[in-house]
Amino acid sequence: MWRGLWTLAARAARGPHRLCRRQGSGAPAPSSGATIFALSSGQGRCGIAVIRTSGPASGYALRILTAPRDLPAARKASLRLLSDPCSGEPLDRALVLWFPGPRSFTGEDCVEFHVHGGPAVVSGILQALGSVPGLRPAEAGEFTRRAFAHGKLNLTEVEGLADLIHAETEAQRRQALRQLDGELGHLCRSWARNLTKALAHVEAYIDFGEDDNLEEGVLEQVLPHSLPSACLPSPTADIQVRELEVALGAHLQDARRGQRLRSGAHVVVTGPPNAGKSSLVNLLSRKPVSIVSPEPGTTRDVLETPVDLAGFPVLLSDTAGLREGAGPVEQEGVRRAQERLEQADVIVAMLDASDLASPSSRNFLDTVVATVGAQSPSESSQRFVLVLNKSDLLPPEGPGPRPDLPPNLLLSCLTGEGLHSLLEALRKELAAVCGDPSTGSPLLTRARHQHHLKGCLDALGHYKQSKDLALAAEALRVARGHLTCLTGGGGAEEILDIIFRDFCVGK
Amino acid sequence: MFSVRGCGRWAVASLTKRHLRLARFCGDSAAPGTPHFDVVVIGGGHAGTEAAAAAARCGSRTLLLTHRVDTIGQMSCNPSFGGIGKGHLMREVDALDGLCSRICDQSGVHYKVLNRRKGPAVWGLRAQIDRKLYKQNMQKEILNTPLLTVQEGAVEDLILTEPEPEHPGKCRVSGVVLGDGSTVYAESVILTTGTFLRGMIVIGLERHPAGRLGDQPSVGLAETLEKLGFVVGRLKTGTPPRIAKESINFSILNKHTPDNPSLPFSFVNETVWIKPEDQLPCHLTHTNPRVDEIVLENLHLNSHVKETTRGPRYCPSIESKVLRFPNRLHQVWLEPEGMDSDLIYPQGLSMTLPAELQEKMITCIKGLEKAKMIHPGYGVQYDYLDPRQITPSLETHLVQRLFFAGQINGTTGYEEAAAQGVIAGINASLRVSQKPPFVISRTEGYIGVLIDDLTTLGTSEPYRMFTSRVEFRLSLRPDNADSRLTFRGYKEAGCVSQQRYERASWMRSSLEEGISVLKSIEFSSSKWKNLIPEASISVTRSLPVSALDVLKFEEVDMELLAKAVPDPLKKYTECRELATRLKIEATYESALFHQLQEIKEVQRDEALQLPTDLDYLSIRDVSLSNEVREKLHFSRPQTIGAASRIPGVTPAAIVNLLRYVKTTQQRQATTNALPKTDQYLCDTDKLQEREL
Repeated sequence: MWRGLWTLAARAARGPHRLCRRQGSGAPAPSSGATIFALSSGQGRCGIAVIRTSGPASGYALRILTAPRDLPAARKASLRLLSDPCSGEPLDRALVLWFPGPRSFTGEDCVEFHVHGGPAVVSGILQALGSVPGLRPAEAGEFTRRAFAHGKLNLTEVEGLADLIHAETEAQRRQALRQLDGELGHLCRSWARNLTKALAHVEAYIDFGEDDNLEEGVLEQVLPHSLPSACLPSPTADIQVRELEVALGAHLQDARRGQRLRSGAHVVVTGPPNAGKSSLVNLLSRKPVSIVSPEPGTTRDVLETPVDLAGFPVLLSDTAGLREGAGPVEQEGVRRAQERLEQADVIVAMLDASDLASPSSRNFLDTVVATVGAQSPSESSQRFVLVLNKSDLLPPEGPGPRPDLPPNLLLSCLTGEGLHSLLEALRKELAAVCGDPSTGSPLLTRARHQHHLKGCLDALGHYKQSKDLALAAEALRVARGHLTCLTGGGGAEEILDIIFRDFCVGK
Repeated sequence: MFSVRGCGRWAVASLTKRHLRLARFCGDSAAPGTPHFDVVVIGGGHAGTEAAAAAARCGSRTLLLTHRVDTIGQMSCNPSFGGIGKGHLMREVDALDGLCSRICDQSGVHYKVLNRRKGPAVWGLRAQIDRKLYKQNMQKEILNTPLLTVQEGAVEDLILTEPEPEHPGKCRVSGVVLGDGSTVYAESVILTTGTFLRGMIVIGLERHPAGRLGDQPSVGLAETLEKLGFVVGRLKTGTPPRIAKESINFSILNKHTPDNPSLPFSFVNETVWIKPEDQLPCHLTHTNPRVDEIVLENLHLNSHVKETTRGPRYCPSIESKVLRFPNRLHQVWLEPEGMDSDLIYPQGLSMTLPAELQEKMITCIKGLEKAKMIHPGYGVQYDYLDPRQITPSLETHLVQRLFFAGQINGTTGYEEAAAQGVIAGINASLRVSQKPPFVISRTEGYIGVLIDDLTTLGTSEPYRMFTSRVEFRLSLRPDNADSRLTFRGYKEAGCVSQQRYERASWMRSSLEEGISVLKSIEFSSSKWKNLIPEASISVTRSLPVSALDVLKFEEVDMELLAKAVPDPLKKYTECRELATRLKIEATYESALFHQLQEIKEVQRDEALQLPTDLDYLSIRDVSLSNEVREKLHFSRPQTIGAASRIPGVTPAAIVNLLRYVKTTQQRQATTNALPKTDQYLCDTDKLQEREL
């Protein structure tokens, strides 16, 4: 019982208009009947990665990846060769475990694949699973929710579930933001925009085309050139859909050949200008990543460097100091810094300990530290470390730590004093971020992307085949639903807004 | 009490006011106190008539209070019913044995199914209606409905008493106070006052209080509602001028003829009253740059257009069309108002210019050069009540047993009003007999989408039904409204006649049988190709093909199939409706199969009831942000499904609510039997496992 629970939260996680996300012919429905998969081991260096599935098609997926072998004995580790079901290409020799429901973690049929931990292997297996009909990548916290839904967790264990879901949703959102940063995001958003527009025009044609009020005929006579695209399920809508199909198809083929993964936890160093952020980045990465100078505003762009911090893979970003009124280049740097801050798993906020009263420090404390630092872990899953640099400049007896500041660490990038305790603090935060398997795995995010892009492409295929306009519109709704899973948005109101903006609908 | 009913029948036997007064007099004299009804409906518009008739069908002694009996059934705006989305609503109202579809079939003068070429899921049944016939037929129906009494009178106030402890709400309504100071007691009250709450009519710079041209607004009632704490908003709408028929030069205009045969609105009608060959044509003309000029030159004389009150985006006045989409020609449909009416309704020319300028504008339009304006168009501004203050059964959160239906909830359109009227009538009656409310889900009907949108999201413009608002558009079709709603209406609400129920049952079993027969007939694709050369069946298919699959081809219908395989298919073509519906079922079969899972998912969420007495602002053991608490407090969602649709209610909040409900249920389960929602989930789970 309570199987509805997880679907709810999963759907809610996708925004307030989930109901309009349609699933029609073609792609398997992402619903309670679906089987989910995810990487269950954390990021970082590990010899073995664990990939887990849950749901009715688990057994089928296991058989298809280990063909021609049959299902192994329940709850016994067996060695199997895993191959890609489409190409037959061997992926890895792995230990597999088969847990038929209800005696499993979630209460459903579950499979665990213990594979060799390299990103290529993990990625290959996630993609192979994604191509099995009925399987899709798990939403945030979905395994736990299914376990709850099947009575596998007691109510005390569930206490933290909402917080967990919130944190995971946030972490996934940040991961998705990163993934959608740059080219891919630009593509996805423009696809979603085009598709929404095409759908709006088809919907307009259905709802208003003949109700004596969509004045398409008139428009054609009067303004043949400025005819809004797709007044009819028009050549234009068709062309848009065809273009999108080609673009998606090409992208999917391309993506398989390797899209750069931004793996690792994202640690972003931020603070007012001249607090010593670049010095810290250089200190942590043990190489001169950023130019350091006593002049405020030296760093104007986001500089990122992959480092190993306390055994965790980390993408460390140095950002421009946050201040107003600088030149246009620096302002852009500040904008990028703020954007990067949103995507961070761990924020290292840095202030000049000898300059806490300056306007830029005060401003930083009031805005960034007060908003991010003050949130409890349940409200924000972003981790936060406040560092007061330049402790060497403080008088030896010092003014002491200010009572109105949140907990903080004293550091001197110059002398290295306090570095040890900073590393220890970072280690704790990173352990929390990386130890949670379902948060920021870019491999899983990528599998999710592929799943939805593929679903979108399939649905567009159905659009082409449909002779019945209601069916064709349904296919577009499904396609748009998949894209908006990646980009957000997607309500019926959005469609109506486009209709009323583009058409003079009215009796 | 009894004599009131007696007199009610008396009243209904005749239309004269003498008898109506007598009815009230009798009532007063019989009960030394005051007349007492189960359900009192205030307002005799499209929502009010449906509500009153539905309550009476459900077995409640019902009183319909209206300003004037002779305005019952008045179509105060366009002379047409139905359309895309709206036609769907009418089929659903009819499936619940509502009135408007049947009355339309007796009064339609130009039938046209819109979207014929776009797929049966989005067909829009529509007809021009003879205003006079509609009003006559509606009054005849209303005045002859058993258990329903009609009385003239303006309601000034509500009688409020102590709340029932077992229900939420700060008081309960027990009756109404009329304009003359007399009172009527009621177990439930339905308010369907349309645009009458502080209604204000605007023409040019003139404005005067009225709910409809020539009718007084309700001010006392508006004050009472505001005092009770209802959140009130303001909306505007408008109507075009009316033109003398004989003054129009139709010969130079595009003529549009009705469908032949006409497709009736009602499931119980096989044909319509006025034969297609006797029906009237419509004509089409267009605006021109001169119209734009008149609008633009006279904006300073047009206060309605300048107001910031929200009007509908989809039914704008000619002024806002000119302002928003300049330099275009806009359509003007010249619609007949009735068989013997000498008025024409120029659809598309809704405006609020001063009357003389309206006439000037009309005469610069092609075909209308010599047109005579009989009365001018006007705008109406009116109060509506934020519909998030009512439950999906249309009862208010604040006042127990008080129901709102129609335009008062921020909707526009006869059909939207009628749909709410039926639901309010049924629920007001069920409330009296202490039965559970009758709620239609988003997965079951357009009515469900309409009410769920209103009660969870509210509205900031007059709300109209569109098919694009409906997620499960492929399953909620005009053809199958009876199989979706008639059985529920019969069993749960008792608002459906035995005859209709039997007809729907016959249709359902015939459809089920037909589909299984179609599935069972299997031939090779080459044999099908021989039997039906017209069908574009690919002969390369190696697997046998069922007759149902063949029926999915656009060019194949039941006639063609029955010719190819007369035995056993011949009998399914004897009823035309059955044959059509089988074809439609086949068209959507595979898409619906995929949608079923999602429908079940939504239904499961909707089966998770939230306690109605939950005080979101103060409950302790649920962790919710203040923002979410306030949203939940205002909308009071009845189910987890509805809560998850409220913008700003986070996934984490949903999980917390679920946990709360579950702990509450566990507590109950120890004392009571298994709670309903748990039961439901257990059942569906079993079902699902079987499927797997």
